[in-house]
Amino acid sequence: MSERNMSDDAGFEARATEIRNEQLLARRVRVDRMFTWLFIAQYVAGIVAALTVSPYAWEGKVHTIHLHVWVAALGGAGIIILPILLSIFRPGTTLTRHVIAASQMLFSALLIHLTGGRIETHFHVFGSLAFLAFYLDWTVIITATIVVAADHFLRGLFWPESVYGVANAEWWRFLEHAGWVAFEDAFLIWACVMGKREIASSASRQAEVEQLSEMEQLKSAALEMAMAEMQSASA
Amino acid sequence: MKRRTLVTGALVLAGLIWAATVGAMFQSIRRFETTPGREAAARVSWPAKSRIAPARDGWTLVMLIHPHCSCSRASLQELERIIELSGASLHTHVLVYRPADFKSGWEKTETFQAATHLQRAHVVVDTDGQEARLFGGFTSGQTFLYDREGALRFTGGITSLRGHAGVNRGSMDVVDIVHTKASRATHPVFGCAIVTNIESEQRP
Repeated sequence: MSERNMSDDAGFEARATEIRNEQLLARRVRVDRMFTWLFIAQYVAGIVAALTVSPYAWEGKVHTIHLHVWVAALGGAGIIILPILLSIFRPGTTLTRHVIAASQMLFSALLIHLTGGRIETHFHVFGSLAFLAFYLDWTVIITATIVVAADHFLRGLFWPESVYGVANAEWWRFLEHAGWVAFEDAFLIWACVMGKREIASSASRQAEVEQLSEMEQLKSAALEMAMAEMQSASA
Repeated sequence: MKRRTLVTGALVLAGLIWAATVGAMFQSIRRFETTPGREAAARVSWPAKSRIAPARDGWTLVMLIHPHCSCSRASLQELERIIELSGASLHTHVLVYRPADFKSGWEKTETFQAATHLQRAHVVVDTDGQEARLFGGFTSGQTFLYDREGALRFTGGITSLRGHAGVNRGSMDVVDIVHTKASRATHPVFGCAIVTNIESEQRP
């Protein structure tokens, strides 16, 4: 009896884990697809921003296509090609979502450049982190944060004017900027952990319902068999 | 199996393109934004032939602007800050470039409108960059600051990079000079060319 219970428990746990993994995979594939469309929308928005803000570079009365337009068209395409292909051919995998996280942060950096370093465009970073939390995988948030911190650290070291506005910024200034990102991360990571727990809990409930339904079916089958035996005996 | 190999190959290729693009893109932006325009051959005293009169009761600041240069919006933002911090002793003139053979109105861009909204600033259309040549400037965003005796005290740009507004050495120097009468200063200028190399050689 005890052995049978242990076997039932192991089966129940395995089924609960299976349901949880299926639900997480389905969710992550959906988020991969969402990011595919988001990348395409951002790509178009980047080109529109470049054409609006700085369409041409001028030398007196002669104008040529501005570097920002080329960067938006070619650089933007270069950034999104890998995450889009991965989301099509390797949806739901760990590699896909980490590449998407890194690419999304790189696109933030690109948009910040295309809009001339507008402070408002920096909100793209915070919005993107929130979108990445849809994966319910806190390691993705860490990857995105590392890309942001590395971008600020390297630019702060070699090109401080572009990120802090002054040429003599202290080397540790990137920590201050990354600190605000870490502030948001703390809540997003907590949300990811809680979301994953809720899915696990829902999967356990579903496995329990399935198990109860299976037991009911077995009982019904046994009862029908017993009744059939009784009918044949009375006949 | 063949399809799997093909997909893996495509993903590896996309990965290489991705890495190369990121590196090349940021490098090209960095080079573009950090490369200054042509340095001015500034006159040490106010050019006598200029149709703009220098202020005798304070400082005179002259900025050259190409109305279609997107980087120059940042220069005007910095100029606005300088005007606010410098007070009424600063008289500002923004010279907006327009080629003589281009129809009137070509210069009426957002940048031009931004210049007209500056406090205590006079906007002058500079046909063919004649005034720019008199002052010895070649690049949009080029700023000259003259004292009440007509002596040049600052020449250069007032942004840290192409198209980047924000605190920088150039704009800080202008404000310092106006307030403390510090000695002369220069700073690199970032913007589109107003007078090209060929034009400056043809028509000095």
